[in-house]
Amino acid sequence: MKKNLLLKIMGLVIIASFVLTACGSPAATEAPEATEAPAMTEAPAATEAPATEASSADVALRWRTRPDNQEEIDVYSKISTELDAQLDGITLTYEPGGSEGSNYQDQLRAEVAAGTAPDVFWIPGTDVADFATRGLILNAADLAAATDGYTATDFYEGPMYHLTYNPETGASGDGSGAVWGLPRDVSTFALYINLDLIAEAGAADPRELAANGEWDWEAFLEVSQATRALGSDIYGYGASAWWGPYGVWLNASGGGFFTEDRTACNLNSAESLAGLDFQRSLYQDYDVAVPYGEDPEPGFRAGKVAMFQNGRWATPGVRTVDFNWDVVELPAGPNGTAGNWLFWGAYVINANTEHPEEAWALVQALTTAETQGKVAALGANIPSRVSQEALDAFLTFTPPANNQAFLNGIDPSAAPTAEGPLWAGSWPQFDQIMGPAIQGVLTGSTTVDDFGATICDEANKAFNQ
Amino acid sequence: MNMKSYRLVRFLNNFFVYFILTFFAFIMLFPFFYMLSTSFKIPSDTFRYPPRMLPRDPITMQVDGYDEPLPLYFVDVDGVQKEYALVRSNIKVGTYAPVDNPAAVVDRFISEVKPTGGVMNQQKVVVNGEEVKLFDVEVDGQVVPMILVSQTTVGEFIDPQDPESEPVFQNVRLSEPVENVGWHPENYKEVIELNNLGRALTNTTLVTVLVVMGQLVTSVFGGYAFARLKFPGRDTVFVFYLGTIMIPFVMLIVPLYQLMVLIGWTDRLASLIIPWIFTAYGTFLMRQHFITFPKEIEEAALLDGASRFAILKDIIIPASIPALATQATFTFLYAWNSFIWPLVIINVGNEKNHVLTLALNVLRGRASDTPNLILAGAAIAIVPPLIVFILGQRFFVESVAGSGVKG
Amino acid sequence: MKTQSRIDAQTNLILRIHIIWRGLLALMAALSVWMIWARMAELPVWQKILFSLAAILVMVFSSYGAYQFSKHNHSGRMISLTLDYLGFVVCFVFALNVGEFFIGIDALGENFGKGIPYLGITVLGYFLGMLEEYFPTRNNASENSLKTVSKWVMLSGFLLFLWQVKALNGIVYFFGKFAQPGGMVAVIGLMVFGLSLWSMNRPNVAQALNVKTRHEQVINGWLFLSPNLLGFLIFFAGPLLLSFYFSFTDSDAIRTPNWVGFDNYAKILNIKFITLDVPDQLARDVVDIKVYDEVGRFTFGDRGILFAAEDKFFWLALRNTLTFVLFAVPLSVLPALVLSNVLNSKLPGMKFYRAVYFMPSIAAVVGISLVWQWLYNATIGYINYFITLGIEFWNNLFNVAIIDPKIQWVSDEKTALFAIIIIAAWQTMGFNTVLFLAGLQNIPGELYEAATVDGAGAWDKFWGITLPMLAPTTFYVVSTTTIQAMQVFEQVFILMNPPEGPNNSTITLVLYLYRSGFQNFKQGYASAIAWVLFIVIFGLTLIQFQRQRRSSIYES
Repeated sequence: MKKNLLLKIMGLVIIASFVLTACGSPAATEAPEATEAPAMTEAPAATEAPATEASSADVALRWRTRPDNQEEIDVYSKISTELDAQLDGITLTYEPGGSEGSNYQDQLRAEVAAGTAPDVFWIPGTDVADFATRGLILNAADLAAATDGYTATDFYEGPMYHLTYNPETGASGDGSGAVWGLPRDVSTFALYINLDLIAEAGAADPRELAANGEWDWEAFLEVSQATRALGSDIYGYGASAWWGPYGVWLNASGGGFFTEDRTACNLNSAESLAGLDFQRSLYQDYDVAVPYGEDPEPGFRAGKVAMFQNGRWATPGVRTVDFNWDVVELPAGPNGTAGNWLFWGAYVINANTEHPEEAWALVQALTTAETQGKVAALGANIPSRVSQEALDAFLTFTPPANNQAFLNGIDPSAAPTAEGPLWAGSWPQFDQIMGPAIQGVLTGSTTVDDFGATICDEANKAFNQ
Repeated sequence: MNMKSYRLVRFLNNFFVYFILTFFAFIMLFPFFYMLSTSFKIPSDTFRYPPRMLPRDPITMQVDGYDEPLPLYFVDVDGVQKEYALVRSNIKVGTYAPVDNPAAVVDRFISEVKPTGGVMNQQKVVVNGEEVKLFDVEVDGQVVPMILVSQTTVGEFIDPQDPESEPVFQNVRLSEPVENVGWHPENYKEVIELNNLGRALTNTTLVTVLVVMGQLVTSVFGGYAFARLKFPGRDTVFVFYLGTIMIPFVMLIVPLYQLMVLIGWTDRLASLIIPWIFTAYGTFLMRQHFITFPKEIEEAALLDGASRFAILKDIIIPASIPALATQATFTFLYAWNSFIWPLVIINVGNEKNHVLTLALNVLRGRASDTPNLILAGAAIAIVPPLIVFILGQRFFVESVAGSGVKG
Repeated sequence: MKTQSRIDAQTNLILRIHIIWRGLLALMAALSVWMIWARMAELPVWQKILFSLAAILVMVFSSYGAYQFSKHNHSGRMISLTLDYLGFVVCFVFALNVGEFFIGIDALGENFGKGIPYLGITVLGYFLGMLEEYFPTRNNASENSLKTVSKWVMLSGFLLFLWQVKALNGIVYFFGKFAQPGGMVAVIGLMVFGLSLWSMNRPNVAQALNVKTRHEQVINGWLFLSPNLLGFLIFFAGPLLLSFYFSFTDSDAIRTPNWVGFDNYAKILNIKFITLDVPDQLARDVVDIKVYDEVGRFTFGDRGILFAAEDKFFWLALRNTLTFVLFAVPLSVLPALVLSNVLNSKLPGMKFYRAVYFMPSIAAVVGISLVWQWLYNATIGYINYFITLGIEFWNNLFNVAIIDPKIQWVSDEKTALFAIIIIAAWQTMGFNTVLFLAGLQNIPGELYEAATVDGAGAWDKFWGITLPMLAPTTFYVVSTTTIQAMQVFEQVFILMNPPEGPNNSTITLVLYLYRSGFQNFKQGYASAIAWVLFIVIFGLTLIQFQRQRRSSIYES
């Protein structure tokens, strides 16, 4: 008797699984991504938006960004809902990608290859060349040419140089024959400062120093040391382990990653090495920094790091802390400037999208002054359109009170280096060689001299393969 | 006498055995305790040093004359530790000393100290070659010009029972807050509802259940064919199966990915289920088990006219429940815990199809400042298999031991 | 020839139809070969070859089957059954695909959660039925009632479950799909192949084709094996071959792969050892740095050897992986051996400890790594806290001043890999302990008794009896732990940021494979790495196997 029962159960469950698995499909049709249901053809890859359905209903577009926290997800979800109502004939679905730690771009490459990537997605500026030369993103030059009122000069020059770069002709700007996407926003580094810690340490207020033009590497070191002295668990300075934070120190001393024309490694120039050496001393000699490789953000938000170097994108997360905080520009290096970056990322169009026109319309809608204003207001980055109006509005999006610090960073007088891809080489490969080597220096296992002696031999392999 | 010392030796011996065992048990269990306790903490509690095991909440109290409840701290009043309420923080305090006697320092609130000679043209002295500003500091009713040696900030604490009494000033960051043990199960709610762990849990359950059932069915049939039925080619196929058991999964990750692309299963739960239903190892284990089953019973049933399927269904499977359960548990763990394949095949943005391990990978990046949430997520992934294990502990461990010896 | 006379008219008709059917199938197969090459230009070459090979096989076997049919040979029936069965399976899978069965699983995730409690009711009902075993009743009536209750509980739970997950909608949707052309084809295919199978299995037809009793086992054997074998071929053996093929191409998952011969392997294995005049001589002075990168150098006095490779990351990954194996395996096997011997005593409470030790091996590696990430935290983590406490205690006890190292576990190049090793050892130790324990319990007690009589001490017994008798278990434990350790990935991926670790100190082979294949999209290259990894694993296992054999020969 018992045996029979067991078998019946097994049978039942198996049948059930058969039935059930099929049953979900109608639920999917009710869900917003209705058109994800596959076409009725034998071609298995055609899983998105079958033509038969598209003609009768709205065109469904999926778009994606990389949010770093829940606050940003909320911002973009809201934008998506608003644009959905605003754009005729287009139904939008916003999907948040993984955060920096979970390899957003890599996953995206895999999905473009697999045909499951969204129609429009955001990628960091450094990856534009790689995506473009691999044929993963659409060249929207023709669509842009047919669009009234579109001109590349509406946006910051740094990002648009790369976004309109034509790898075949080497031309750039309007009429170069290439438009790879439009910049979502720009950002730059600032130091998020814990005012309570600095006051407790009795150190000078960096904002005042900056206002008096005294905010240089020496002053920075003094504040760091004063706050570090508060306790073994309190650090003066913290930065994440990627190219942005360490690049600043190289830029500020007059060096940089690449030569002027971005065709060769410049990491071994005397200036670059001097900048790197100062940064190394923060970690090794003065021991004021959160150990390189440990994420300083939790520490900062827990009130244990006095100065935390990050972009505007960290603001929504920092807004939740319960101590007094503000931002200040990066300290000026021996070269006179802070060596800041002009970070940007762009909305690009999936090369395999079935609706290029609608996707281009979406890219434009996502980069209007209005949308960018909303994103900026809700806390994320700085508008990528060049407009005094947008900048004035940006200043009102507090906290932090000292929003001007960000604008000072992208001001032409601060000479920020625009983040950019390597059209003459492979940025990911360059990064994979440079990152670990610099980490070796900052953690004290390689000397700056040894680094300088060999780095460019290795890194130059990323060019012109 | 001899007996006594023997007993002593045995006692010491046993004591030593238990000491070693308990020591290792502590090491084995500690991360789990840590995970569970942290998952019930509030974020600020997770960053405390020295770390503490039990989750705690700071206590606040309503004090007369203040609108908001005030946080309580331990404060040292005349050598007695008392619970005082923090009224104000970030009060700047300077340490001042006369120029000629740097050792005679006094502490004053910076707001109460006036620059010597007024704000506009403050007097300065040269100390060690540097110009230093002078301040008028009152000492015992006399105004003495002094220099600022160092400065810091303090908080103002008052007795909550007697708000009018003398306040105490001390460093807030280093003051120990008054806390009581407080559990925050709402962390789980937050992580399940806001961070997609709920959907991931459902998906993981679904995938695991289907993989376990599917794999049992195919391995039982395959194992039976290998063990009991004679047909040409059987031994060749079996040797082929055996040969592939050692091949690690990562060998397949690239081609299997391209296969999934080809048939359009990328980003689909089907890709986490269907390929895992057919395993050489499971079939091998089933075959090893069925081969020990007495042949006579089966032959008798055959003579009675029973079909092979009926024999399998009515005689062999009911007698093989322990072996089936062994395999089911192995498969369960494998399917529940797998990471690299979902990472490759499921879209990061498509959170609807995330399994727990993937959701944790995303959570790790998004909630790096709230370890309590991350570890609540980890607990959701770890605890269900542990419960299964604790329920069927004896059986489980023995079946693993059995499979190991056989393998 | 004698059987021919017994064939009745109906059977004869079936046989004739079958011959026509076989011929028709052969014709269709031939037609599809033509279609593949003439009409489907967009298919990659390897797929064209694969599909046409399958079609040609169908064509050949189908016509051969028809020929055997005409001679009334049983092999004709076998071929016919096989082809029809395969056709049936293909149509069945196709039908499921048409009904969106496979991708429908996704949508099931939406409602499955709501149904789980009701599935629980079903399971409860089942256990209710099992109760009968524990309460043996004399009268049949009560037994039946318990059964009935159980049955109804199960059924109602299940129906509720179906209702909760919107099964009805699903069924309607599923069958709705068959109104379309693809669905029609699938249904017709299912019917034709099914009919053919059914008729072939009629006793009369089987008789007419001279069926023998041994054929029953052959048919059942392949039939029982077929689900497993087909899935195994498609999802394991096929991809394995494909992986081998990819390793000779520059496949990038996007463009059509080009054959590059041994280039991938040559790049991986292209290494150079150069003797240096002075130990700190720069790599660019001795090798062509356009091709080679320095991986490491060994110094002997005032001489040195430089190790350069074209793919530096592979060799770093190999170094790290082997270091990992070298430490993680002994660290998880040796304590397990000791613990199992201690656990094997007959003291009370051993089962409790056994269970406790086993717990880490059950937990998800991803979750475990997240927990250890916080334990390893240099400023607030428990591990450094315990070290600090220990050092303070030691300093107070002996009045010395050892300095607290404040180890940066995961961000220091020197400790990062070791941090991973500790997690792995922690996680596999308990599993190995249980395996050893099982091995110990299989050693006959008489051996020890005899040794005691001979006056052997505990230590002698361990070396003389326990270890040799445990040799097979040890081999199993060491080889499985090694194979597992060679594939270390998840701990590194979760714990390290970036996963390569400080100065590439935690890049492992599988991580590098993942990076090459799914970040840089050199999938051909990644396949080659996979094969090299396999060869290393295979070599290690072979060495262990040889050693185990040799030592067991000594023993006997």
